[in-house]
Amino acid sequence: MPKILIDDRVVEAAEGLTLLRAAESAGIPIPYFCYHPAFAPEGSCRMCLVEIEGLPKLELACSTMVKEGLKVRTMSPPVVEARKGVLEFLLAEHPLDCPICDKAGECKLQDYFEEYGFFRSQFKEAKEKREKKFKLGRNLILDRERCILCTRCVRFLNEITKTEDAGILNRGIHSEVGIFESEFIDNNYSGNLAQICPVGAITDSDFRFKTRVWFLESKESVCPLCSRGCNITIDSHPGHPRTLRTRRVYRVRARQNPDVNSHWICDYGRYGYAYLDEGREDRLVWNKGGQETRLSWDEAAQILTEKIRSLVHLRKNSRIGIVLHTNLTNEELFLADRIFRKGLGVERFFLADPPPGKGDEFLLTADRTANRRGLQEVGLSVQAPEPKALSGLDLLLIFGHYLAAGISPAGLKDALEKVETKALFASHKSGLDGLVDFVIPVPVIAEKNGTVTNIDGRVQPFLAGLDFDGDGLPEWRALLDLAKELKVDHKYFWPLSSQEAVYRALQKEIPFFK
Amino acid sequence: MSPEYSVSLRRKIDEVAARYPKKGAALLPVLHLVQRETGCIASEEERFVAQVLGLRRIRVREVVTFYTMFLRRPVGKYHLQVCSNLSCSLLGAGPVLDYLQQKLGVGVGETTADGRFTLSTVECLGACEQAPCLMVNFDYHGQLDRKKVDQILESLE
Amino acid sequence: MDEKVLTQHFGVEGLFRIDVYRGQGGYGAVETALKQMTPAAVLDEVKRANLRGRGGAGFPAGVKWGFVPQNVPKPRYLCVNADEGEPGTFKDRYLMNHNPHLLLEGIIIASYAVGIHAAFIYVRGEYEAVSLRLEGAIAEAYRNGYLGKNILGMGFDLDVVVHRGAGAYICGEETALLESLEGKRGHPRLKPPFPASVGLFQCPTVINNVETLSNIPFIVQNGADWFIKKGLPKDGGTRIFGVSGMVKRPGIYELPLGTKLRTIIFDHAGGMKDGKQLKAVIPGGMSAPILTADEIDLPMDFDSLAGAGSMLGSAAVIVIDRDTSILDVLKAVAKFYSHESCGQCTPCRIGTAWINKIVKRLARGEGELDDIDAIIRLASNIKGKTLCPLGDAAALPILSICQKFRRELEGHIPHA
Repeated sequence: MPKILIDDRVVEAAEGLTLLRAAESAGIPIPYFCYHPAFAPEGSCRMCLVEIEGLPKLELACSTMVKEGLKVRTMSPPVVEARKGVLEFLLAEHPLDCPICDKAGECKLQDYFEEYGFFRSQFKEAKEKREKKFKLGRNLILDRERCILCTRCVRFLNEITKTEDAGILNRGIHSEVGIFESEFIDNNYSGNLAQICPVGAITDSDFRFKTRVWFLESKESVCPLCSRGCNITIDSHPGHPRTLRTRRVYRVRARQNPDVNSHWICDYGRYGYAYLDEGREDRLVWNKGGQETRLSWDEAAQILTEKIRSLVHLRKNSRIGIVLHTNLTNEELFLADRIFRKGLGVERFFLADPPPGKGDEFLLTADRTANRRGLQEVGLSVQAPEPKALSGLDLLLIFGHYLAAGISPAGLKDALEKVETKALFASHKSGLDGLVDFVIPVPVIAEKNGTVTNIDGRVQPFLAGLDFDGDGLPEWRALLDLAKELKVDHKYFWPLSSQEAVYRALQKEIPFFK
Repeated sequence: MSPEYSVSLRRKIDEVAARYPKKGAALLPVLHLVQRETGCIASEEERFVAQVLGLRRIRVREVVTFYTMFLRRPVGKYHLQVCSNLSCSLLGAGPVLDYLQQKLGVGVGETTADGRFTLSTVECLGACEQAPCLMVNFDYHGQLDRKKVDQILESLE
Repeated sequence: MDEKVLTQHFGVEGLFRIDVYRGQGGYGAVETALKQMTPAAVLDEVKRANLRGRGGAGFPAGVKWGFVPQNVPKPRYLCVNADEGEPGTFKDRYLMNHNPHLLLEGIIIASYAVGIHAAFIYVRGEYEAVSLRLEGAIAEAYRNGYLGKNILGMGFDLDVVVHRGAGAYICGEETALLESLEGKRGHPRLKPPFPASVGLFQCPTVINNVETLSNIPFIVQNGADWFIKKGLPKDGGTRIFGVSGMVKRPGIYELPLGTKLRTIIFDHAGGMKDGKQLKAVIPGGMSAPILTADEIDLPMDFDSLAGAGSMLGSAAVIVIDRDTSILDVLKAVAKFYSHESCGQCTPCRIGTAWINKIVKRLARGEGELDDIDAIIRLASNIKGKTLCPLGDAAALPILSICQKFRRELEGHIPHA
């Protein structure tokens, strides 16, 4: 591997890499606006100019290839001067919008000015006046005064979605990002444009004026809205003594994963975060004879295990049924299988999932659950939840609130009335709430630890990005508690006390997950 | 209602486009052809050209707005383009422009009420040895003074 | 040594017609090249002749041709740069109008040498008459078997297409020209890769100026040594100087490289017009840094001008008199580059506009004490930092005017 010197440090970098990447890999920051790792170098912002010994002019780090023996300086006086120059040019024609601009706090222009600029403005002229609220896309507003013409947006639409919705119009100082007439950007990936815009030129109308980014906590997670498993960052408001928190989650952003979603997420996933806060189950209740009593999980678990135990004792295992869904994690599906099928001889496993949608040729899959592949690999066979099959049961554990889809409300009501004990483990309120005995709130994927398997068979671990505030608990813990109470394979299940422990057990048993 | 473009224009477009390995490369010559027939390139023309050359409409607009010779709005019968670059300025382009404004009663970028003359300034026309120069549509006129300007205007019907 | 080469037949009426052109010996060089020389031999001769580019950059033509890889399974292209946008320049217009067949001959021989079978002549959009003349000449050349398939029965094919630009100085920059030829905005490309390997439609491409190619037939017919004797050892041939501004006889003057600037202005162009006094000269098109009246005893060749801090460029000499305010010159320069900036890269897009705003403010009488320094600082931030040479083309002249005529500029600042 060729060795180069960056600021007197020896950096080994693979042939074919640019100086910018080589520096990044060595932890040496080089500023840039127009460069983006997903696109070919553009070379127009001129912010990444560095000094190379022996060459008369400064060279672009983003497009100069690593060559054995290159001596690069990223902080020498000419480089410092050049960076100041670029910043000064950009700020000369940039509006003083920081107080009202959504990008404040995550804006490259702000960050670089603080790091490399910090000079007083010497611009005495009148700035170019431009359109500030141009409707660029379904959820996108373009402020042309803020735009620094990095062309990331245009290139994204040319190279990634290949929809070529936008272009650069006019020439010179009058250049601007534009579309044809009112044919604004209307594809399933438009939200990425607000994310890759380095400044506040393209803003997301979903996020516009809602909060300041420094009030938000960013946590990593995996999007559960389809089986791609795009990596995301959830930005939530943890609460602040002096501000009124009107909601918890303010936005979802793409998180880079070269093996899954590159740098992107689709709009369906990006804007579909309302489910995290809306319509959530929060009270654990027991509907006994028309009266609703609030219980703790321990109390509910005790009652449930009694019922299960008595049925098993009477050799009525075949009268126990479990409704699963494929938004359950690998651990949860594994536990359901090992505890109930293997441990208790339960045969009736049903699958009730959200309905499929239309997939696109990029990230969004037709399957709208996170872990269908996980169910396949765990190897649990499931059947459709037909009312006839359900009505023949004495005890039904329903995971998920999706059972209502696909069965007529009357049919469902009838069937469930015939089942003596019904427990619902659901994250969201639904029509099922009134049809069951126990309603146990559970967290969504964003609120628990676990792993899911995406459509390509990639197992992705995730940690809770949000707190789970409900009365209930994660399904994997509920299943483990039931196993312990029921004394199913005591030696095996008693030591499992964490999600990681369950995953390790899963890995031991099923080769796919190793 | 999309405007009709003449058969001869369409034929010429096909002819020109065939000279290039990729049809889209013919965009500039084709826009010249269309502008000659329609006077300017409005969104209807952009759509037409995009469709004929298999290009996205935004790509056509990018080009139309980049090059100064493609007009987005119609101009008068005679487009008087006065060079405002250095050699012409040295030799009196300023007074020539002033005279034209005064004589025609329009400012730079404007068209006379009768629609005959539009007055513009342009950069170097490549005829500096005849400075000061102007271009009427595509005809060059140099060594301008008031008398010559009068002669030119009179010769234009 | 005043024999003309390129313009020697300009007086012949109807020279643009193929029968007249041939009557003057035209297309003899094509016969020589195709029938008596290998492509490699033609290339070598052109290399030896030290023919440097006549567009502005001055890169040796033969060397450029040699960069084109012969073993890449892609078509090769020749683009003739007839964009002639450099202010003060009009020589190519003369060449193409008066002697289009000379250019075609040069194109044919160049294409033969490099193995090119498709050539595009990129003519600036304003030169409509020139395009029509070229197209007429091309039609004649096809009819007479000098273009098309199996030229002169020697198995060499070549097609030539005239492609008109539409009003953008930046399209004179070779990679912007390629973009424009591909039907796009004239945005210069990053180099490397260079057009010789990745050019038109991503194929190996040679881009040469009109005057450069017009010299090729003479090099083939008379040899490299003859060509060098016409000029200087390192810069063979003649240059067509275009003189404009405050002189008695503006026009084109074909002279040997190395002719003194003073000679060009005061002998050939007749000296100052209307009894004016010389103040300054721009020697190589507007992008060339300005020279004062005491700096005109310079030989006009690439190296001498570079040594004097300017450049030969397009050999367009603009003569400025003492009655002209240098601020007006600066105004024209600042306005031009701001108008012509393609807008891609930060320093040029914003810097040229900013400088233009300051200069306009100065011209309105609203200048302030630090404005000249501001212009110098901004131009220095453009110089050497842009994606294409237009940045330097803007910055260097502006810097030279501010440095050499600072006093006069400051005179326009109230309270200075």
